[in-house]
Amino acid sequence: MRHLLLRRLAAIPLTLVVISVLVFLATEVLPGDVARQILGREASDATVAALRQELGLDRALPVRYWDWLVSFVTGDWGTSYTLKVPVRDLVFERLGASLLLAAFAFVLLVPVALTWGVVSGLYHDRPLDRFLSVTGLALAATPEFVTGVVLLVVFAVTLRWFPAGAQAPPGASLSLRLEHLVLPAVSLVLLCLGYVARHVRASTVASVRSPYVRAAELRGASRVAVVRRHVLRNSTVPATSALGVQAQFLLGGLVSVELLFNYPGIGALLLNAALDKDLPTLQAAAMVLGLLYLLISLGVDVAYRLLDPRLRLGVAA
Amino acid sequence: MPHDSLLSRRQVFAGAGGLGLLALLAACGVDDGAPDAAASGPAKQGGTLRAGTTAPPTAVEPVTMYDGSSIALVQLVADYLIWLDDKYQLVPRLAEKWTAEDGNKRWTFTLRPGVTFSDGTPLDATAVKASFDRLLDPKNKSAALSAFGDVLKPGGVTTKDPQTVVFTLARAFSDFPYLVSAGNYNAVILKADYAGDFTKNPIGTGPFLLTDYNPSTGATFTRNPKYWQPGKPYLDGVNVRFYADSQAEQLALQSGELDALILTEASVIQAAGDIALDEAASTGMTALTLRVDRAPFDKKEVRQAVAYALDRPSVNEAVNDGIGQLGNDHLYAPLFPSAPKDLAQRKKDPAKVKELLAAAGVPNLKFALTFDPPNKDYALVIQAQLKEVGITVDLDQRTSAAFYGGNQETDTPWLFTTANLVGWAGRAVPSQFVSPMVTSTGVWNGSKYRNPAVDQALTAYDAATDDAERQKQAAIIADALHEDVPVVLSLWNGAVRAYNKRKFRGITAHPSSYVDFSAVSSV
Repeated sequence: MRHLLLRRLAAIPLTLVVISVLVFLATEVLPGDVARQILGREASDATVAALRQELGLDRALPVRYWDWLVSFVTGDWGTSYTLKVPVRDLVFERLGASLLLAAFAFVLLVPVALTWGVVSGLYHDRPLDRFLSVTGLALAATPEFVTGVVLLVVFAVTLRWFPAGAQAPPGASLSLRLEHLVLPAVSLVLLCLGYVARHVRASTVASVRSPYVRAAELRGASRVAVVRRHVLRNSTVPATSALGVQAQFLLGGLVSVELLFNYPGIGALLLNAALDKDLPTLQAAAMVLGLLYLLISLGVDVAYRLLDPRLRLGVAA
Repeated sequence: MPHDSLLSRRQVFAGAGGLGLLALLAACGVDDGAPDAAASGPAKQGGTLRAGTTAPPTAVEPVTMYDGSSIALVQLVADYLIWLDDKYQLVPRLAEKWTAEDGNKRWTFTLRPGVTFSDGTPLDATAVKASFDRLLDPKNKSAALSAFGDVLKPGGVTTKDPQTVVFTLARAFSDFPYLVSAGNYNAVILKADYAGDFTKNPIGTGPFLLTDYNPSTGATFTRNPKYWQPGKPYLDGVNVRFYADSQAEQLALQSGELDALILTEASVIQAAGDIALDEAASTGMTALTLRVDRAPFDKKEVRQAVAYALDRPSVNEAVNDGIGQLGNDHLYAPLFPSAPKDLAQRKKDPAKVKELLAAAGVPNLKFALTFDPPNKDYALVIQAQLKEVGITVDLDQRTSAAFYGGNQETDTPWLFTTANLVGWAGRAVPSQFVSPMVTSTGVWNGSKYRNPAVDQALTAYDAATDDAERQKQAAIIADALHEDVPVVLSLWNGAVRAYNKRKFRGITAHPSSYVDFSAVSSV
């Protein structure tokens, strides 16, 4: 276990370097020019060239990359080309916002998805299971943009129960901030629900059919006790990896929800930085998100080992 | 307001949402027949206006700004010598009056007395001269340089006394006051020692003070107690919130979280319930530029055929919700006083299209149309309408970055493709279109049109000292463009501004989406 942890942790910096090179190269081949973006269409070519020189964009690619890498590693993340604010502040502010929304959505998602999947598995192939499965599938197939619009029109514009924007006014209390996050979080939960529930259902079905559950039932243990003692635990372990995938998605894959609910998260920052070729911002955001992704998948693997007795005890499956 | 790059960002995710959302809102946005807010009586003092706008794509910097949001934020804080109202009339602001001498080559501006900057410094001629010298210095990279063009050069601004500024021009220019008005949006008057970083040093003579700015979320403004217009502004403050998506912005207005939208897209929003739309004519447009120096558009008849193939009223409905004014393939918007009155409006004429194409020997015209996302709707309309008369259009959409990228002298798509759509923000004077777009030395001459008669008429127009002469020269230029069709101009955009009529009054649309909230008051 410790060996695995050390090996995986050691691989993280290398992975981040690879990501940073890829982002750098991808930005290089994207069309457009950040200097033109800053000055607008009506600036002359000479003016744009002068700004490129000021930003150091006229230097050779390896030189620029090396400069960026050295500064980044020594804690100097630079200034956003376009917004002219320190990148570190910008990225952490946006990341904080994304983490809050993702955490809130995740807290709603876990109990709902687990219950959904377990109930579905216990009633497998019966009408209730079919209904839950089809609903989950339909929700997963509906883009969050569409569910978001429906939620907004119904609950924010027509009923006015919840605010339309996910951004609470400056200095709002946590409860007010969360109230603003209800609609975006619900649209995310609806999107992720089917995926997690499907995994939980499959493992629930498997454990209901497993010999020890049958044996327990034959011994006369009550259904409730069997479900609580055996089924639940065994069916939630596989859900860990499904939840890990969703956690990664919730952190970075939120661009459309951020745009629709006007939430200043890191997804929208990444998108705009990429469109504007604002390299310092793009790199820092990619590094921070990349690190989080790697840590989440490591966390999932560790949790899996701790939860699954076969892996924990090193018994062959 | 030049092309707003964020409009293209907004298109990134504006897929499924758009039409469905409008339909949904139309279904539940029933007008309850509430009376409009009283538009008369004395204005109320107090209240805070909550306005939404697109997040500025760059740091807000008056000297280099070009996007509508940055311009609007600066206009809340800083003033111009001359304002341009919603009819494009010149309104004296920091300048009380101006006179021309030497055949429109020397202009003297008298400053309004008693105006102070928000930090208490009196406004004087030195600050005005410094503001223009700053824009004219190439190292400051201002877009105003393009607007001043060959009219005002570095060294052309002098002070006569603390209240008098003199502009000596490189060539006679009868419309010069427009070039130092809000029409040249970078030309706000800042303190002589202004050195950049506006959101940290937001000192101006405008109606509001910028008290807080966050590039991700928005800006907070409070009333400027030192504002020079007595009693104004009526509002205690303005809170501006940034949006990356126009639907999100519209929903916030519909749900009562916002009171007004600074940049309103006519195609996205409808008046319903508490939401009213103010409308204004505009001099903004999207030009269908045709390269006259290469096939198939090197023949005049082929260009005319495209112009006769368009059903302009239905273009107006389809891309601009019917609020625009029809264009007649020349660059003189109806809003410009010198616009020709007696040139017949070009109409759709399928028979003429066939005739012209036959005469040119191109019976089966086919061409590629290059554009970026903000003009996608217009491109689709053109493709459909031209198909009806047997002309095939291949759509070639590029990202905004790619479309406006590259080198303006050799290869940038917006100036070098065979046929393209370019959105032009409203200009204060017609010469600001004619000179760069269709003269032999024009910096943005995407059609590569060269016509000495147009060049001469423009010089004469700019130097003219009386209106009859200006009309005459404008007619020469308009006739030539209408006949030669280097650009097909089917529509002059209208401008709208959406606001909550139950809460506020005095919010008006502006041809360039500028803001003057000094006269806005709570209902």
